[in-house]
Amino acid sequence: MTDVKSEDTKKKTGWSRRDVLKATSAGAAAGATPMFFTQNAWAEEAIGNYPVKGSEVVLGFNVPQTGAYADEGADELRAYKLAVKHLNNGGGMLDTLKPSKLTGNGILGKKVTYVTGDTQTNADASRTSARRMIERDKVIMVTGGSSSGIAIAQQYLCNELGIIFMCGLTHSNDTTGKDKQRYGFRHFFNAHMTGKALSPVLSKEYGKDRRAFHLTADYSWGHTQQESMQEFTEKEGWSTAGNIMTPLKTTDFSSYLSQVLNSDADVLILNHYGANMVNSLTNAVNFGMRDMQKNGKNLEIVVPLYSRLMAKGAGSANIDGVLGTSGWNWALQDEGSQVFVKSFTDEYGFPPSQAAHTCYVQTLLYANACEMAGTFYPPEVIKALEDFKFTGAGNGETLYRGSDHQCIKDILVMQGKSPSARTSEFDYLKIVDQVDAATVDYDPAIFGGELGPYIPA
Amino acid sequence: MTKQANFWQYNKVVLVFALIALTMPFWFPLMGGYSGLDTKIMIFCIFVVGFDILLGFTGYLSFGHAAFFGIAAYTTGIMLKSFSDNILPAMFVAVLLATLVSVMVGLLTLKRTGIYFSILTLAFAEMFHSMAMAMLQTWTGGENGLTGMPTPMLFDIKMQGASVFYFVTIVAIILFYVAKRIERSPVGLLMKAIKSNQTRLEYTGINARKYKLLAFVISAFYAAVAGALMVVYEPFVGHEFLGWHQSGEVVIMSVIGGVGTLIGPMLGAGFMLYFENVLSVDLGEQWLLVLGAIFMAVVIFMPGGFMEGIARLKKRYFTTVDGE
Repeated sequence: MTDVKSEDTKKKTGWSRRDVLKATSAGAAAGATPMFFTQNAWAEEAIGNYPVKGSEVVLGFNVPQTGAYADEGADELRAYKLAVKHLNNGGGMLDTLKPSKLTGNGILGKKVTYVTGDTQTNADASRTSARRMIERDKVIMVTGGSSSGIAIAQQYLCNELGIIFMCGLTHSNDTTGKDKQRYGFRHFFNAHMTGKALSPVLSKEYGKDRRAFHLTADYSWGHTQQESMQEFTEKEGWSTAGNIMTPLKTTDFSSYLSQVLNSDADVLILNHYGANMVNSLTNAVNFGMRDMQKNGKNLEIVVPLYSRLMAKGAGSANIDGVLGTSGWNWALQDEGSQVFVKSFTDEYGFPPSQAAHTCYVQTLLYANACEMAGTFYPPEVIKALEDFKFTGAGNGETLYRGSDHQCIKDILVMQGKSPSARTSEFDYLKIVDQVDAATVDYDPAIFGGELGPYIPA
Repeated sequence: MTKQANFWQYNKVVLVFALIALTMPFWFPLMGGYSGLDTKIMIFCIFVVGFDILLGFTGYLSFGHAAFFGIAAYTTGIMLKSFSDNILPAMFVAVLLATLVSVMVGLLTLKRTGIYFSILTLAFAEMFHSMAMAMLQTWTGGENGLTGMPTPMLFDIKMQGASVFYFVTIVAIILFYVAKRIERSPVGLLMKAIKSNQTRLEYTGINARKYKLLAFVISAFYAAVAGALMVVYEPFVGHEFLGWHQSGEVVIMSVIGGVGTLIGPMLGAGFMLYFENVLSVDLGEQWLLVLGAIFMAVVIFMPGGFMEGIARLKKRYFTTVDGE
C-alpha cells in the first residue's frame, strides 16, 4: 500500500540511482502517511492510476505466455504490439475506424508504452500479474485473457482498483452477464450469440427434425454454451437426446462417444474448446461417426465455437464440413479487416487469429474513448465507450452496449475446408454466413448481474 | 533481568524475521517489488512454515496441502459472501473446517509412508479439486472461481493495501514464533525422531502415529490460515487454489529454501514469488525454463537449499565457531 502513492509513474525494468533515491523518499513519505488518509485521498479525484503523469501512458497486456493457451496468448501479444505501433505512428485500423478521434500521435498527446505479463492460464497468477502492472508499472488500462475464468477474475480485480479492463478472448455468457462489471468491457461475442447465429444455419443444412446429443466441457463456459445451443436448436424444431458433462481434463472421450452412439441422436454437438475439442473430434472421427447413418440421415458433428488454432489441431481432414462460429476471420473482405490483416501480415509474416483481432480492436477502442472523453479519467472513458457505435473494425456496424458492456456485432458461421480446398497453410475455415448484429442481439436482462457504480468503492 | 535477556537471545530469529517483514513495504519496492506482492509473500511464508513442520520435522512429503489451503479459502469466501463481511468469523470457520478435514485425511493417509503417502495426499487433494470444479460448482463458481465478495472488513478497518499487509504480517510473525516453539519443544523432538528412525522410536514405546497426525494437522492448520488470508488479501477464490500445482509450488519453495530449517522455506517462498512476478517480466516467456534450471542447480549442488548455501558461506568467511 505504501508505495502505491509513490510518485514515479514510468514503466521500468531497471533501477537507476536516481530512481532509487526518488523511490526511497517517496516510499518514506508514503509510509509516514496514515493509511486512512491515503484511502480518502483515493476516493476523491484520483481513480486507479489516474491522473497520468509524464509524457507517456502505459497499457498492461496480460496474456497467457505459458500453459495451454500460450499460442493464443502469443498471437494476442503480437496484436497488442501492433496496436501500440499504430496508436503512436498511425496506420492500420486508425484509417478505417469510424467515428474516430485517433490521431496516430499516441493517446491525448501522450506516447503509448506497454508492459506485459503472463497469466499462465491461472486465475490467481493472472490477478497477481495484473496487480503488478497496476501497482508498480502504473498502467491506466489492463487487457488480455484467453479464457473466461481468467477474464472474469481480472475484471473483478480491475473493477475494485478502478482500472478499466478490456477483455480479450472470452466467450462465456457470464463475462458480460452475471459477472459483468462497470470497468470491464468485452468486444468478443458470447455463447448465447453463437447459439442464435448457428442454429438457423444448422436447421437449413441438416433439416428441422434432428435429435442432438451434447458433450459439454464441465465448467461455466461449457454450461452456458450448452444451454444456449439447446435453447436455440429446440426453437428450430430439434429435440435433445441427452447431454454429458465431460471433465475439463478429459483426453479420451471414447466412453462418452459410445453413449452417444447408443442413443437415437443424429447430431453430435461438441461444446468443447481448445484441446478438449481437438481430442473429442478426433475420437469421434476415429469411431467412424462422420460416415455413419442414424435415423436414415447422416450423423453430423457441430462445434459451436471454432478457432483457427483448433481447426489446425484437429486437422483439416477431420473438420471437413463441420459447422461452427467465429468472431472474425482473416478472409473477411471489409476494409477494416483488410487493413488489419495486411499490416499484421507485413509485420509478422502470417495472418492474425480471431483472438488477435479482438485484442487489437479493444486497444484501439479504449484509446479512442479516451480521445473522445478528452481525459483518462475512468468514469468519463467508460461513458464514452458505453453505447458507442462504430464501423470499420471488421464485423460491420457494431454497438458497445451500455447496459452490459457487450459488443453487438456480426457473427461468422464457419465451415471446415476439405484438405483439397485449402489455399494456404492458414486456410482451414470458410465463411458460410455472416449473421448480422440485429439477428444475434438479445435482451441483456436475461443474465442478471449488476454493473455497479462508476466510482469504485 | 537475565530471564528477559534470555528471551531476546532465544527469539533472535523471530525478531529478525519480524523486523525484515514489517519493514518490507519500505525496501521491497527498491528491488522492483510492489505492494500486494509483499502481502502474498507473507501469506506463503505462513503456508511453507507449516508445511515444514510436516516435511522438515517428520519427513512426510505431502502433495496435497493445497486441499487445506483451498478449502479454507473457499469457506472464507462463502462466509464473507453470505454471512458477514467481518473476516474473523469467516476465518475462524474456515480454519476450523479445513483442520477437521485434515484430521480425517491424516488418519487415512498416514498409515502409509514415503511415496504412497505422497500419492494418497495428492489423490485427496485432486478429489477436492474435482468436487469444487464439478459437484459443488454452484457454490464454488467452478472454473470462473468464487467472485462477488464484499470488501473484507476487520470490524471498521477495510482490509485493503497497508492494513491487510500488516494484518497478514502480524499473523505470520505469531505463527513463525509458534513454529519455533514447537521446534524446540519435546513434541518437536519427537517429530524429528520420526524422520530419523520411526521404527526405533516405536520400539521405545512411543506412539509415533499420534505425533505424525499432530504434525500433519498443525501443518494443515497453517495452510488453512494462509488460505483464509489469501481471500482477505484479495476477495477472490480460484479453483487453482485446490490444484496440484499449488501443492507442488509449496514443495518447490520448501526444497529450494532448505527443508527443515523453517527460515529456508520462507526464503524459498519469497524467492519463488519474486521470480515469478518480477524477474519473469524481464525473462519473457522463457522464465519457467530458467526457474527449472535454478531449481535443478539448487537440488544438485546445494541439496540443503538456500540455507545450506548460507551455511557454507558462513563457514568460509566466519570460521570462528559461534553457534547461531
